[in-house]
Amino acid sequence: MSDKIGIYVCECGPNIASKVDIDKILEEVSNLEDFKDVELVVKNHKLLCSVDGKKFLENEINENNLTHLVCAACSPRDHDTTFINVCKKTELNPYMYQMVNIREQCAWIIPDKEEATEKAIRIIHAGMDRVLYQQPLEEKQLDSNPDVLIIGGGIAGMEAALKLASKDRMVFLIEKTDELGGKSAKLNQLLPRQGVNLNILHQKLSNIKSNKYIKVFINTELASIIGFLGNFEIVIKDVNDSENTTELLAGAVVVATGFELLDATTLNKYKISKDDEVYNALEIEEMISKNGKEPQKVAVIHCVGRSEVGYCSKTCCNYLLKISKMLKEQSSKIEVVELFKHLCLPNKQDEAFFKQVKDKDVKFIRIKDVNVSGTSIELTDISDAKQKLDVDMIILGTAMIPTKETKYLAEELKVELDEMGFYQEAHLKINPISTNTDGVFVVGGAHGPTGISESMLQAQAAAGKILTQLIPGQKIIPEVKVSEILEAYCTGCKTCLDVCGFGAIYFDEDKGISVVNEAICRGCGNCVGSCPSGSIRTRHFTNPQLYQEVKEALR
Amino acid sequence: MEHSENVLIIGSGVAGMEASLMLSKAGKKVTLVEKLSLIGGKTIKNEETYPNMDCSTCLVAPIQQEILQDGNITVLTSSQVTAVSGDAGDFTVKINKKAGYVDLVACLGCGMCYPVCPVELINEWEENLTNKKAIYVPCAGALPNVPVIDAEKCLHLNGTDKECNKCVEACMFGAINLDGSDESLEINAGAILVATGYDMMDISTITDLGYGKYPGVYTAMEFERLFAANGPTEGALVMRDGEKIPSSVAIIHCVGRSQSHYCSSVCCMASAKHAHFLHHKLKDAKIYNIYSDICLPDKTYQKFYEDVKAHSSQFIYQSDRDRMKITEKNGKLKIEYLDAKEKTASLDVDMVILANALRPAIGSDELGKILGINHDKFGFVEAQPFNIGTVVTSKSGVFVAGCAEGPKDIQSSVIQSEAAVAEIMSLLNS
Repeated sequence: MSDKIGIYVCECGPNIASKVDIDKILEEVSNLEDFKDVELVVKNHKLLCSVDGKKFLENEINENNLTHLVCAACSPRDHDTTFINVCKKTELNPYMYQMVNIREQCAWIIPDKEEATEKAIRIIHAGMDRVLYQQPLEEKQLDSNPDVLIIGGGIAGMEAALKLASKDRMVFLIEKTDELGGKSAKLNQLLPRQGVNLNILHQKLSNIKSNKYIKVFINTELASIIGFLGNFEIVIKDVNDSENTTELLAGAVVVATGFELLDATTLNKYKISKDDEVYNALEIEEMISKNGKEPQKVAVIHCVGRSEVGYCSKTCCNYLLKISKMLKEQSSKIEVVELFKHLCLPNKQDEAFFKQVKDKDVKFIRIKDVNVSGTSIELTDISDAKQKLDVDMIILGTAMIPTKETKYLAEELKVELDEMGFYQEAHLKINPISTNTDGVFVVGGAHGPTGISESMLQAQAAAGKILTQLIPGQKIIPEVKVSEILEAYCTGCKTCLDVCGFGAIYFDEDKGISVVNEAICRGCGNCVGSCPSGSIRTRHFTNPQLYQEVKEALR
Repeated sequence: MEHSENVLIIGSGVAGMEASLMLSKAGKKVTLVEKLSLIGGKTIKNEETYPNMDCSTCLVAPIQQEILQDGNITVLTSSQVTAVSGDAGDFTVKINKKAGYVDLVACLGCGMCYPVCPVELINEWEENLTNKKAIYVPCAGALPNVPVIDAEKCLHLNGTDKECNKCVEACMFGAINLDGSDESLEINAGAILVATGYDMMDISTITDLGYGKYPGVYTAMEFERLFAANGPTEGALVMRDGEKIPSSVAIIHCVGRSQSHYCSSVCCMASAKHAHFLHHKLKDAKIYNIYSDICLPDKTYQKFYEDVKAHSSQFIYQSDRDRMKITEKNGKLKIEYLDAKEKTASLDVDMVILANALRPAIGSDELGKILGINHDKFGFVEAQPFNIGTVVTSKSGVFVAGCAEGPKDIQSSVIQSEAAVAEIMSLLNS
């Protein structure tokens, strides 16, 4: 079948029609020297995006048996999808269509009508050049596996498991220690909000045990994972016996590996040893619950290691207030002093809780600086006055930091880390639970400092993402505008493997060439630019296509 | 039980939009009800968002476009829920859609109708810093880019001048019809998400701070619009007289916190951002942040704050946020406060920005009654304890996300919205 290009110029009411010479555009485009051997249909319409306009376009494509389509109208941001949807109603492959913006790029910005008309003709010409080089592309449909792997059996991992498991969806929950519960299991009581107590943890544990759609693997960690949303191939291994592995298939992964507390003995201003009566917040929880010996004078220090790690751990203020309250409730004779720089109380209930603790006769000193040696404290307060405090016990609100295995897991999962060493979100503001690997979600302390309720909320959010993205029985339609590597030209230099941010390229050792996994590739084009032999191209954005468009536009 | 596959989402800010798109992708139908004539919520009032200074429009406009083009999502702007009956899985919802008099499909947003309108009104969306006509879009770039008519102020519609048809005549698409009237719609919904966001606390009652009395005193949101490229001054930092450029600015934190009894959690970073804006537009201006506690509740925030502290603004501690007093003398604002030693100190500046507290959205009480959900003592929607879920309200089938539940930043609103979607999916699939 010979080429037949349809070119439709939208007047956009007066928006385009009053600013460019529509007749001249039609006349010149119909008689372009470059296209004298190509059959053209060139027409205008009052408003292509209207119901009438879309019907008109559909009829034109069908009646003229168009092989290519150019719509000269507004910004693709407004109506690219509109015209793609028109193509989908016809035999014309939507990738054989090109949109040219003669409104924002001509009519609205060039005051001189003649000049605006000239430019409109030129960019329509460029669009025609490009469209002739376009190739039809077909969407593929892949089967997907709805099951989910959850890494980490703390409160976030357990919550995600309970929200996701159903008769259509198995959940595999792996935990590296020998029991579920994570850090929350160490707590004596939860922050006393709305009367919630530790029973919630026991409730969740028993719900998980009784749920036949959740398979728990304790003493287990991830060995390897490859794949993409809907199809991950996973190997897990026994922590104590790395030969003992199990293979799993799943469609999504929730990373809920939690946090660690910074070791305060590494800080210059804290000259403390393991024997001193100095505890971090988790240690004191265990101690109180064991009914340990009773100190007379306790100092609680906030923000320990904050300037070193470079962020606020945001849960510690509330948490340390809770510890002071517990100490005071154990014995009102204990003198408790809190040394802090700023109080961070970002939840609506927090201020009332702070008042409650203050009313228990806890002393608060706002400090600028503090040095600790054993259980002796030297501090400078906010008014620059210096003070010495000798206490029986110090409780440190140490910073929450990423766990040791984060780096290894991030590499396996092909998820980036942020500068603090936590997993990086796909977008901090508008896509905070997802990662740059589709189908991998990060929740709880692994994501950054979070309290229990926030960890649970993030776990529910990951469940929301998975429940809407990975529907049992539904096919996955991967992006079609992806990169492909031309086998004959690839020299096997592996440069592209390094620049791919999605882990979409792997190396075929047998053939000695790089290969794109089309289900993972997003078509960003990084590899195209990096390839020294020019063997990679991104479909629908190939060099010849772009060259044709640019050459005419810049003429 | 057969559940309605339709979900009602009230409020089209980041939380409402995220939930709408997620549910649509899962094949659910969504009715998105927004009381204003534009979608996008408060985020679009910001020029840039902290801490990465992402352009807000660039973040949100693609999401707004996607919503407007999504076949599963029915967007009802200028609309409010008036009655709800039924139970989880099968609610019947009545919605009043205010007449806008402009056809959403026929209008292209060319803007030919506003200049001809003879009525000048205050533009509340622009924090009263500029005017609009009786036919208007609240700001450049509003989506949907379709004007509405204020029926009470339009000369034709309020009966002052029945002959005035100027906008109708100016429209080349016949998109304006002054015979329009409010519509009453009834829809069925399996679940309801309340994502009605927040409003800023009215601080004119805190008389010591001089807001409303001295023209040099601004609220944080006023400043946000003043800085915005699509705002009343197109981003020029000129004061209310239209001429003066401030050479010294003080940003006061925690305004209204003692009255609200909670920390609004976003103002410290917003104030740091304002200092950053000021420093980059007015290189020589002296910029101060006066604070009592700095709250930076995200792993990414401290770095930005340190950067602002090092380059853009001096941070001054005040020991009692209820003892500040602002007065004006010879065009200069005098700020008196208690310093770290609890002694009175003072500072003279041209401009003051009051970082005022967030409060529940105006009208959320009424909506709560219609929905039959409880509010907490602050007036925010009361969520269940977190073991049950901080998106679950007191009424089965009704969920909450974003600032409707309490003050929070964009990402926390998005996360809560995604969590609400999990609950909604579970309910609809059960």
